[in-house]
Amino acid sequence: METNKQKMTKKSKIVIGIIALVIIVGIIVTLTVGLNFDLRYQDSKRIELYLETDFNISDIKQITNEVMPGEQVIIQKVEVYEDTVSITAKDITDEQKQSIIDKANEKYGTELSADSVEVESVPNTRGRDIIKPYITPFAIATLIILVYMAIRYRKLGVVKTLLKTIIILVVAQVTLLSVMAITRIPIGFITIPLVITVYLLTLVGLTSYFEKQVANRKEEKTGK
Amino acid sequence: MKKIKLITIILAIVLVTMVAFFGVYVPIQNRMENKVKDYQYAMDLEGGRNIKLSVDNTSNTVIRDAEGNEVTDAGDLSDEELAEKGYTKEETPYNSEDVLNEENYIKTKKIIEKRLNALGVDNYETKVDETSGNIFVEIPENDITDSIVSNIGTTGKFEIVDSETQEVLMDNNDIKRVRVMYGADSTSTSSYGGTAVYIEIEFNKEGTDKLKDISSTYVESNTTNETNTTNITNATEDTNTADNTANTENTTSEDSSTDTETTTKEITMKIDDEEIMTTSFDETIETGTLQLSIGSATTDTSTLQSYISQATSIAVVLDNGNLPIRYTVEANEYILSDITQEELNIVLYVIIGLVALSLIVLIVRYKVEGLVNAFAYVGLASLFLLILRYTNVVISIESIFGIAVVLVLNYIFVNKLLSKLKIEEKVDRTVITKALKETYKEFFIRILPICIAVITFCFIQWEPISSFGMVMFWGIVLIALYNSTITNLLVRVKESKGGKNKNGNKQTKND
Repeated sequence: METNKQKMTKKSKIVIGIIALVIIVGIIVTLTVGLNFDLRYQDSKRIELYLETDFNISDIKQITNEVMPGEQVIIQKVEVYEDTVSITAKDITDEQKQSIIDKANEKYGTELSADSVEVESVPNTRGRDIIKPYITPFAIATLIILVYMAIRYRKLGVVKTLLKTIIILVVAQVTLLSVMAITRIPIGFITIPLVITVYLLTLVGLTSYFEKQVANRKEEKTGK
Repeated sequence: MKKIKLITIILAIVLVTMVAFFGVYVPIQNRMENKVKDYQYAMDLEGGRNIKLSVDNTSNTVIRDAEGNEVTDAGDLSDEELAEKGYTKEETPYNSEDVLNEENYIKTKKIIEKRLNALGVDNYETKVDETSGNIFVEIPENDITDSIVSNIGTTGKFEIVDSETQEVLMDNNDIKRVRVMYGADSTSTSSYGGTAVYIEIEFNKEGTDKLKDISSTYVESNTTNETNTTNITNATEDTNTADNTANTENTTSEDSSTDTETTTKEITMKIDDEEIMTTSFDETIETGTLQLSIGSATTDTSTLQSYISQATSIAVVLDNGNLPIRYTVEANEYILSDITQEELNIVLYVIIGLVALSLIVLIVRYKVEGLVNAFAYVGLASLFLLILRYTNVVISIESIFGIAVVLVLNYIFVNKLLSKLKIEEKVDRTVITKALKETYKEFFIRILPICIAVITFCFIQWEPISSFGMVMFWGIVLIALYNSTITNLLVRVKESKGGKNKNGNKQTKND
């Protein structure tokens, strides 16, 4: 008969194995295919159409869907009067531009011409630029948390506690990024909130784990 | 009495919920206006100012005389007139071919980012096209956006030149630090002289030495020429006795006139080739700092504010180095977020749906206690949203996640509390107090690292992270206060004087 401890070790091994596999596959995908950046962070093309009237994003979306079916497009209103639309896509060819202009003229009664609309190249945002502002806050917070953990759970061994905390925090984040790389979830608006959420959940998990260990130690001592 | 208490609390919760979700509308000029403060949205949800900086391809026209010296007052002359005077016209591109490279484009982007940080812009996005050199900047739209735009496009070239020869004596490389200072005007004799604003330029070691040399060279100097008009008689007397000599001197001084010629070597301070001031030095500066006053001393707050703003702009531009390339602002427009109100509503409905589902689970699991606490939970969520409006917390995508995390944390708290009460045989005052205390202890010990992270995030000057921190901070404070008061009261409503056992039978003292 397997004891509880043996069962736990077996379970832990399976979990660790799955995480390791996810991380390895994630690293391979990142190195070979790369991460899937959201359109707003990619090299893209942008046009602006002065429609002279208020418009619905959904109507423009319909036009872009017809001209660029299946492509991701960012549609934004420009300026306070909201009578100009900005359309961003991975690529906008001259034909696509002409088509969009024709359809917009038809829908809004404008007389836009292809010559008056310039396709602007928008460069990508580098991954390091996206994460740069978050490095310092996370580093400071983690440092203070490590000090707290080292003091509160000193009875469990300072080095052991610190190492476990650091490793688990790092592994959790790497696992998240690996999952995003494998599942091709775009690196975009929700990436940082996801990173923060996983960070906080990991902290709660770690505290619960250490608290349990402290309680077990107490129990063992009382039992003796 | 308990029923009244219960009804009052429930009515209060309903009221808060109505206000939080629907607002308070009052008629103003034939229309209904919501008097509840609006949320403040961050750049990712509201949009921002999009600025496109492109490399300046224009040229600077320099007119030189036959000797090759620059002529500054011949700008209005036609080509023929210039030729007649022997002047030549040179077209010098502002950006020479050798500065237009990837390294300088990236350097420019970094300097712009430094300026944005120094100006206190707490959310921005910068992109650089490494081929064309175009730089795209997105910053939040507010009262100071225009001033920021003017600052980021400025080259920031600082020069101290000889006002005559235009020889560059000092430049940006000599600057160590630039800061804005203000204080009582020391030059004013009046006791109510107002406040003066200064820019203090602190030079590095090399700059300090240069400044010392310049300040001892570029000084006002007086040359005295005496014109002797002494007549011959006096001159004869001069050759006699010593006393006579004295007399002669007296006579001479009476008859002679003295001309004092003042020669001044001056420096001109330039920022972006624009002359800021031309001056000379009264004394040698050995401290390595220069103070430039902005405007005059004033007691008017708005004037003072405008001086501080001007001084800050100059200081920020000089303090962070000059752009290696001259740029022009090609596009400057406000573009709304691509996240529409409809998309935000979908997120809101999803959160409401999940909350409703969780509360149903709570009610099914804990029956009446669950229902009462579900009410309390809705009250907390509504109050939380109102707090976010009135504490000016900026709502970003990160903070929406923060709101969700707070709701999850409160659910965990309530669930923990109810599960503790469920296992108790009798639910009296002592039991409730004990359960609450234990729940608080367990809950806050577990989320203490979160509290540390949240407080740290609140102090970070980066809007997405600070907004998350602020949302979480108010959420955790609310969980602590609300549950110790409202939830506590609602839980106590179920308790009977003698307490109730789990079968609902009234307990006696003997129980």
